[in-house]
Amino acid sequence: MEELIDLVGKAFVDHYYHLFDNDRPALSSLYQPSSMLTFEGQKIQSIEDITAKLNQLPFDQCLHVISTIDSQPSSFTGGIVVFVSGSLQLPGEEHHLWFSQMFHLIPLLEGHFFVQNDIFRLNYG
Amino acid sequence: MDPDAVAKAFVDHYYSTFDSNRAGLANLYQDGSMLTFEGQKILGSQNIVAKLVGLPFQQCQHNITTVDCQPSGAGGVLVFVSGTLQLAGEQHALKFSQMFHLMPTAQGSFYVLNDIFRLNYT
Repeated sequence: MEELIDLVGKAFVDHYYHLFDNDRPALSSLYQPSSMLTFEGQKIQSIEDITAKLNQLPFDQCLHVISTIDSQPSSFTGGIVVFVSGSLQLPGEEHHLWFSQMFHLIPLLEGHFFVQNDIFRLNYG
Repeated sequence: MDPDAVAKAFVDHYYSTFDSNRAGLANLYQDGSMLTFEGQKILGSQNIVAKLVGLPFQQCQHNITTVDCQPSGAGGVLVFVSGTLQLAGEQHALKFSQMFHLMPTAQGSFYVLNDIFRLNYT
């Protein structure tokens, strides 16, 4: 039986990458003013700058295929750390890119989570 | 508190201890610490160290490629590491990613609250 924390982590991951792959601008709804993204070593803060970075990545279409999701409760009350690995497929590219990403999710009042911390790295072979 | 300095010092200490004296990792974890190692969940310093000491190799060397960190709120630091793990006698090194959530101790240092380790198969 899957623990609640794994269900929440999986639900978030499904939602996040679905938005990323189908409606990238809508990712802004998952970040708050305090959110931080480190994307391939580049540090970005604020909803505007984070969504600008993600919207300006040099591809229009992509598909994330998730291999592993690990979740644990963080110290923040109700907070969850989620560690993801998978591949990123770009149209026209023969080989897909492997990546790892971690999220620190913090609950908002209504029981929804936002991404307080987001770190993304490609895994080069 | 400078998260970058904390992360770098921690990563250096963690992997050099892992590679030279794995049992010495015990004082980096507490009773509430959690490790997920290749999907297996382990709770508490004793159980975590038993798992790490019981891994099926005597000698290893971690070579760190990237370290990213961010403050997590509540005084914690999130650290995201990628690198390779070279086992003695093995021709090819294993690639891995690992995340740590470090929390401050009363003595002014940090311990590992959350630890998630995954090998990167490509």
